Amino acid sequence: MTGGQEARTAARVAELNAAFGDPGDPVNPVGHDRLLEADEAGELSAAGEKLLDAFGLNAEFVPTALGGRLERVDSLARVLREVFRRDVALGLGYGVTSFMAAVNVWTGGDERQRTRLAEILLGGGRVSVAYHELAHGNDFLRNEFEARVQPDGSFLLHGAKQVVNNAGRADAWLLFSRTDPAPGPRSHSVLMVERAEVAPERLTVLPRYGTVGVRGCLLSGLDFDRAPVPGRALVGELGHGADLALRSFQLTRSALPGMALGAADTALRTVVSFARGRRLYQRTVDAIPQARATLGDAFLDLLISDCLCLAGTRSVHLLPDEASVYASAVKYLVPALLQGAMHDLSIVLGARFYLRQGEFGIFQKHLRDLPVLSLGHAGAAACQATIIPQLPRLARRSWFRGEAAPGALFDPRGDLPETPFGRLALTGDRDGLSASLVAAADTAPDGSPQEAAVRALARQLTGELRLIQQESLALPPQDRTALASPAAFALADRYAVLLAGAAVLGVWRRAGDRGDDPFLADPAWAAAALHRLVRRLGRRPADLPAGCVGRVQEELLRRHAERRSFDLYDTALAG
Amino acid sequence: MPYRLAEQLEWNLGDPDDPGTLFSHARSLALDEREEFPAALCAVLDQFGLYEFYIPTAHGGRLADYEQLVQLVRTVARRDLTVAIAHGKTYLGAVCVWVDGSAEQRRRLGAAIASRLPVCLALTESAHGSDLLAGDVVAEPAADEAAGHLVSGEKWLINNATRGSLLSVLCRTDPAGGPRGHSVLLVDKRDLPAGTYRHLDKVRTHGIRGADISGIAFDRAPVPAGAVVGEVGHGLETVLKSLQLTRTMCAALSLGAADHALALGLDFAAQRRLYGRSLIDLPQARRTLAESAADVLAGEALALVAARTVQTAPAELSVVAAVTKYLVPTRTEAVITALTGLLGARAFLKDVHAGGRFQKVDRDHRIVGLFDGNTLVNLNSLISQFSTLVRAHRRGTGDVAGAAAAFRLTAPLPPVALERLSLLARHGSGVPAALPGCLALLRDAAARNPAVEPALRAAERLPAVMDEVHAEMAGLLDARTEVPPAAFETARRFTLCFAAVACVGLWTHSHLDAEAGATGPLWRDALWLRAALARLLTALGLPDAADPEALDGVLDAARALHAERRLVSLLPLALRPATPVQDGPDRPGVRAHAHAAGGAS
Amino acid sequence: MIDTSTGSTPQPAFDPAPRQPTAESLARWLVQHVAAYTRLSADAIDRTAPLTGYGLDSVAALSLCGDIEDEFDLAVEPTVAWDHPTVEALVAYLLDALGPRPETA
Ligand SMILES: Cc1cc2nc3c(=O)[nH]c(=O)nc-3n(C[C@H](O)[C@H](O)[C@H](O)COP(=O)(O)OP(=O)(O)OC[C@H]3O[C@@H](n4cnc5c(N)ncnc54)[C@H](O)[C@@H]3O)c2cc1C
Ligand SMILES: Cc1cc2nc3c(=O)[nH]c(=O)nc-3n(C[C@H](O)[C@H](O)[C@H](O)COP(=O)(O)OP(=O)(O)OC[C@H]3O[C@@H](n4cnc5c(N)ncnc54)[C@H](O)[C@@H]3O)c2cc1C
Repeated sequence: MTGGQEARTAARVAELNAAFGDPGDPVNPVGHDRLLEADEAGELSAAGEKLLDAFGLNAEFVPTALGGRLERVDSLARVLREVFRRDVALGLGYGVTSFMAAVNVWTGGDERQRTRLAEILLGGGRVSVAYHELAHGNDFLRNEFEARVQPDGSFLLHGAKQVVNNAGRADAWLLFSRTDPAPGPRSHSVLMVERAEVAPERLTVLPRYGTVGVRGCLLSGLDFDRAPVPGRALVGELGHGADLALRSFQLTRSALPGMALGAADTALRTVVSFARGRRLYQRTVDAIPQARATLGDAFLDLLISDCLCLAGTRSVHLLPDEASVYASAVKYLVPALLQGAMHDLSIVLGARFYLRQGEFGIFQKHLRDLPVLSLGHAGAAACQATIIPQLPRLARRSWFRGEAAPGALFDPRGDLPETPFGRLALTGDRDGLSASLVAAADTAPDGSPQEAAVRALARQLTGELRLIQQESLALPPQDRTALASPAAFALADRYAVLLAGAAVLGVWRRAGDRGDDPFLADPAWAAAALHRLVRRLGRRPADLPAGCVGRVQEELLRRHAERRSFDLYDTALAG
Repeated sequence: MPYRLAEQLEWNLGDPDDPGTLFSHARSLALDEREEFPAALCAVLDQFGLYEFYIPTAHGGRLADYEQLVQLVRTVARRDLTVAIAHGKTYLGAVCVWVDGSAEQRRRLGAAIASRLPVCLALTESAHGSDLLAGDVVAEPAADEAAGHLVSGEKWLINNATRGSLLSVLCRTDPAGGPRGHSVLLVDKRDLPAGTYRHLDKVRTHGIRGADISGIAFDRAPVPAGAVVGEVGHGLETVLKSLQLTRTMCAALSLGAADHALALGLDFAAQRRLYGRSLIDLPQARRTLAESAADVLAGEALALVAARTVQTAPAELSVVAAVTKYLVPTRTEAVITALTGLLGARAFLKDVHAGGRFQKVDRDHRIVGLFDGNTLVNLNSLISQFSTLVRAHRRGTGDVAGAAAAFRLTAPLPPVALERLSLLARHGSGVPAALPGCLALLRDAAARNPAVEPALRAAERLPAVMDEVHAEMAGLLDARTEVPPAAFETARRFTLCFAAVACVGLWTHSHLDAEAGATGPLWRDALWLRAALARLLTALGLPDAADPEALDGVLDAARALHAERRLVSLLPLALRPATPVQDGPDRPGVRAHAHAAGGAS
Repeated sequence: MIDTSTGSTPQPAFDPAPRQPTAESLARWLVQHVAAYTRLSADAIDRTAPLTGYGLDSVAALSLCGDIEDEFDLAVEPTVAWDHPTVEALVAYLLDALGPRPETA
């Protein structure tokens, strides 16, 4: 079922939006005031959970073949963005945790497991994912939690998993478990265990953890005491848990940041409202050039992020054997861009950013919530560490040789083939996204001064790719492990910035081809976005031609006035 | 030495990790969760006599040395910013009177503070924020002019508005407003008739949750004729001069927060095992920590120079204070962000690592960049001084002798002369002007000790960057109303240059004495200077400014200090007495149960 | 006196102050500065209106003292433009401070 994807997605976005209603309405049970109250009380908004039940959010996580609505990863991110726009805790605590768990089963589970999990989710149940252990963090190959293999093929679960979302109320858990005491990557397996399968006296749910953000999320842990579970709990092959986790991460790493963009959107919207209303020195704050520039830059950060998220999520469908490195780049760079934008916005908001009450109180909530994106899943260093070892290979085999990604990669509304869960590769040796950057440097239009600026910036980024190539070829072997040097980490950072530039160029050119979005087709924003990325690389590019920055600021103010989203979709919002 | 007393305060407050200590981390965290005013902890500071350091010696107190005050406030801030801000507020509230008050006002205010009454500073109004001249709180002459003024209107977002007994209030005294239309009035709530004022509710805040952030509404509150601080109509001038002092002092709050965050990072990196090693042995994590340590030391260097400048070159404080208030909080925020990445989930979880102290430091510290003139206001203040600074750079003017005295930590400070404060540093600042002399000293040092050469090479890049930045400034002189974003960027670059010169100045003038002390390893071979310059030049966008060797060296030295329970600091500050103290009535730590008195001596 | 030939830093090109300032020449000199700072044309500056009305805020107005000092070798308080908040008032103040000189205009 491919036809009509866009219409279906847009309808669901509109439906969710309408259900959430006006955020500024004080009596709206899922408006900002009430969500702040829930946050203060450390609760997930009950009204919000009810609303999402009614909407059937869980169906978004279940492939259509299994009766759900999951067609495309980019659409999943776009729908969930509506939830995150309102409340990160709800987005994570109601839903995404279940998706992170389910991906393992869609990717590696057998027919029975898939059917059963779909049944749980479509019935409104929750599933937890327990990969991590506090003692080992990102180094999950050292995890200790055991699923001891019994002679009859069943397992005895023993040990604890900490900091697991919804651990206490999930119907099933995906448990990343040690099935062999020997060290190494073949000693772990993923098990899908239903609560009903575990004898209650063999399980203790650990006390809840307090957090500084997403205070409503129900984070606790599970402590099993030699609990027997049947052999059919095993997802995929015995000993192949690490690969399964890493393949599943490709989906979650590229999808989550795109969801979280909704929170940054609300933060920006809040600050634009402040700036337009606040009078200082006989004018409004948005007339102070520095404040106006900060707002425009934050909008650019959101657009850049969305371009990279788009390329990352769509690559899962279109370039599945390249998606691994893109997913890590998304998960590394987008949270950094969004948090940087939030920080700059907090300065514009001034004292109001520091208040947990009043018209702008929602800002600090998003500011506290958003870091969960980079701290709660794979951390920045872990993502960079995934990218680094792939660089030498890409440098040797792909850059400046490979074929450019298809234009469809950059089309926010274009149909996609279904998610190839089974085809996700652990590493790749192709990089069509960078190749499209190289191509743009030669072939992008350069008629107007603004187009010429885009082209010049694309050339500059291509020059940077050359440097990255040289340095990647020279990476010593030790740099491919956790002992990688800071220089190698910096290389991964620069590469991620380049990919973001490539995605911006791709989106701009595709919009030009399609001609249905005059703003995205305008070189002004693309030039301004690339300029920002080139500066992020520590270079000082030539000044932008007149009008680029103004065009971006104008668009921001238009969307704010008309209540439309600050992303690639220009979605109409409630309120 | 000015920091000795801070050391005593630290010992006196006792071991913060011991929950039996009254001023323990555990208590600070609990108060923060409950959003409770830290009254008992402020009382501990009162017992120590900290309030005496808010009163100049001339007016009966013990404030004679601003460097000492910075170190005292930093000591409290290291434990708990909420307490430092709640208590230190009295200094902010009083400073207008020290700057411009009459002898009688000073005497009375000194006596009030000595009797431990909290004082606050009320500038901000809900609708006006940084735009002080737009203030609507008015002071009208009373019918009988000799009877003083009637104050009406609301001040909101005022620290200690409710708990404070006295307030310095900026009021409009000329209905037409303007720079001569406002005056500071010292209002004593105890003298106000009932019904002429009321408090506005405590505001719930992101950090410093226990602090009394509230407001006050006056309704024709009669204040006596003697309440006007300085001349009628000169309030803005008084306030801007006073803010130079308080902005310098804000650096102490940032330093304390940075000390705390860095200590948590060092502990975590040593304990945490990943991939079969300590986190500290993963090169990337190591680099993050080393950069953080270098940034903290650079911030300390700038703050020390700034605090000493209050006395060595008060007429230049308008530059130094703006640089310091912008740069130290901003760079400290960046350190905290970097350390958040290092701590990972533990920066987010409240109960897992060190009781969740890290997230509290992060939330609390964000106020420092915000109040008392925010980031942009300070940069803007520098932008409006561009023409003076450009002129000074061209002519090489500035109080070089004053700067040298600020750089030489062993030099006794001249007495405080607040009457020399000026709204504008007419001849620029002696810190940048001192660069050629400092470079000559550094060359001599490098000639004697080749290990200093890398520091010299880095420092020798400064004159060219300074020229470049001043040329940018010269191109922005016509930008005084519609200040373009580029001017803010140039001002930022100026602050980085300024800090770099301050570091060179401090090292060249103080290293001989410091090398012999407990922090000698940081000073020898100009180690900290190399690391600080590498960080500042990198932030200025200079290519090839990195100095990984120096960063590693600084990290090793920092870890050694930390392991000896010394502060990671340029100064030898022991966090515990050298000899273990016996438990008993004389135990210096203030215990939760005993409230043992520990007067400052 | 100021040696304007030294230093490589570019300076906005203002007319040098007249040697024998008159009320009119002083006013023109001031208007030129204020206009440059506020990016307005000289005609737009009313000599009797407060400078703050042109967006020259109180902090920015402080820097006029340096310009005056530079041009006339006359040390004035930074707050000179606060106490004499219009072009006209500043001219009167400057004429007085520069000492009695014959009005030749
Ligand atoms: C916890 C807390 C405690 C406080 N305690 C006190 C206190 O004890 N006493 C007191 O008087 N006040 C206090 N304040 C108020 C504080 O000092 C104000 O926040 C500050 O004056 C700035 O005002 P604002 O935050 O409302 O921002 P605004 O002034 O409204 O600024 C809005 C935006 O405009 C920008 N802006 C402002 N001026 C310029 C400029 N010249 N150039 C470019 N951009 C500019 C700002 O940076 C910001 O981005 C406190 C505030 C808080 C949150
Ligand atoms: C709100 C929240 C919700 C969570 N929910 C869940 C959940 O539902 N299920 C679940 O399984 N887990 C969950 N977690 C746990 C979380 O995902 C892990 O704790 C986290 O991903 C990794 O662990 P860590 O933060 O302890 O970092 P660590 O791995 O301990 O990292 C610490 C430091 O090591 C550095 N580092 C890490 N890897 C490398 C490397 N390869 N090279 C160099 N340096 C490196 C990092 O930069 C960091 O500085 C949640 C956490 C939070 C905060």
